[in-house]
Amino acid sequence: MSKSFSPVLTLQDILKFRLANKNPVSALEDINFQLDSGKILGILGPNGAGKTTLLKCLCTLIIPDKGSIVIDHYLANTPADKIKSLFGFVDNEERSFYWRLSGIQNLEFFAAMYGLTPKQTKLRINELLSIFDINYIHKRFDTYSSGMKRKLSLLRAIIHRPKILLVDELTKSLDFDTSMSLYKFIKDLSANKTTIILTSHNIPEAENLCDTFMFLKSGKIAALGSIDTLHQNLKNADASLTDIYKTVMKNA
Amino acid sequence: MLRKIFALLKKDFLMESSYKLAFIMNIFSVCASLLIYFFINKLFGNNMNKYLEEFGVNYFSYVLLSMAFFSYIGVGIGSFSSRIRFEQLQGTLESLLLTPTKTEIILLSMTIWNIIFATIDVLIYFLFGLFLFKINFSNINLISTFAALILTIISFSSLGILSASFILIYKRGNPTAWLISTLEGVVGGVYFPISVLPGYLQIIAHCLPVTYAIRAIELAVYQGYSIFQLKNELLFLLIFSIVLCPLSLKAFKKAIYIACCRGSLTQY
Repeated sequence: MSKSFSPVLTLQDILKFRLANKNPVSALEDINFQLDSGKILGILGPNGAGKTTLLKCLCTLIIPDKGSIVIDHYLANTPADKIKSLFGFVDNEERSFYWRLSGIQNLEFFAAMYGLTPKQTKLRINELLSIFDINYIHKRFDTYSSGMKRKLSLLRAIIHRPKILLVDELTKSLDFDTSMSLYKFIKDLSANKTTIILTSHNIPEAENLCDTFMFLKSGKIAALGSIDTLHQNLKNADASLTDIYKTVMKNA
Repeated sequence: MLRKIFALLKKDFLMESSYKLAFIMNIFSVCASLLIYFFINKLFGNNMNKYLEEFGVNYFSYVLLSMAFFSYIGVGIGSFSSRIRFEQLQGTLESLLLTPTKTEIILLSMTIWNIIFATIDVLIYFLFGLFLFKINFSNINLISTFAALILTIISFSSLGILSASFILIYKRGNPTAWLISTLEGVVGGVYFPISVLPGYLQIIAHCLPVTYAIRAIELAVYQGYSIFQLKNELLFLLIFSIVLCPLSLKAFKKAIYIACCRGSLTQY
């Protein structure tokens, strides 16, 4: 990874235990990486590899047992307001909105919590609605389909123009057209220097979008780097990301 | 800060008003409980009068005021934990803590909402008392009533925040709320003056803030006692507030920290 830029994210020796039947199991172990501004990192790995835990550690929802996370020069050991406003997080849970409120009421509420004025909120919501072609924003959240909820989750995550966007399972529950417009949106965000970290089980999707890839297995980094670096490591310049995934997971 | 508090209150209002029947049912509940005590008073009221001499009212007037006032105490204790529990179940606790919003702002907005909600209850009690049961509130000392009210809200909101801290960590099982709700009904002087109780229970009663809160409000409203005349009760509540308010805030922050360390914010 290039050292010429000041990294927006630095993770060093991150260790997180998870208690399973009172026996601690490493959810994350020896996680070390740096990420420059405007890059898109794809985290790939099987279920339970620690992808969501890593995203939550980054945005201060989970505090690691050991190690340090530096975000834009701020240490993230304790949840701090300054750090929180740098992040937007698209959770893969449908539970995270007020179901008896409409989509727009939810967005207005979270926008206020991110410190936007009512005028800024209105402009931003209109801008986002036109990008994603959403016409159900005034309906109650509990009437939404999974895909509609997912879109609203994305809108909430970017409403305050975060510097770092974390997306857990990018196109989960989304239809083809929405996925395509989301890919374009993610690329545009990256071009505007937003750093993006996404998890995905869709390897071609990650290959299309990401600059850098992290393969996680049982909480450990099995491989990390750009497609060229991964080709070099495997000594196979023609390998697709799917081939790399299979080889890395087999050898890890 | 004000914008965030307003947004939190607006969200609570929109949520609450989406349950349209709840408000009407609440009025019926107040009315039903008042009728129960009205008829208890009719049956046994005369036997209670000797215990109520210092308050200068009959049993029904005493219990109406203590129940009305208890809205602030009950809502203060119970609603913080139930609101945190609701946010856990809804999954919104994590989303809320993801935003750059200080814990103090979240708790302050909850306190303001509790006060608004309890005040509606109190108004219903007072309207019934004034117009239906013709209770005389003309002796009220507004300054001492207000002082007792403020100190009670701070004390019991602090207890409520403390109990919400347990919910953050243990999800269910709330020893603070259990202890208070069990003790207050029996020995706190809400449903009858503590002078009815045997001596050893009166000693326990004098250790509870609810006893001082109820006594202060009864004497301020019905006998017009001044702040000076209520100095013992108010001083106890003041000490309780000074000790408990920062303690509960610290406990709540610590509970969030523990939940973040365990990664259990979304668990319920």
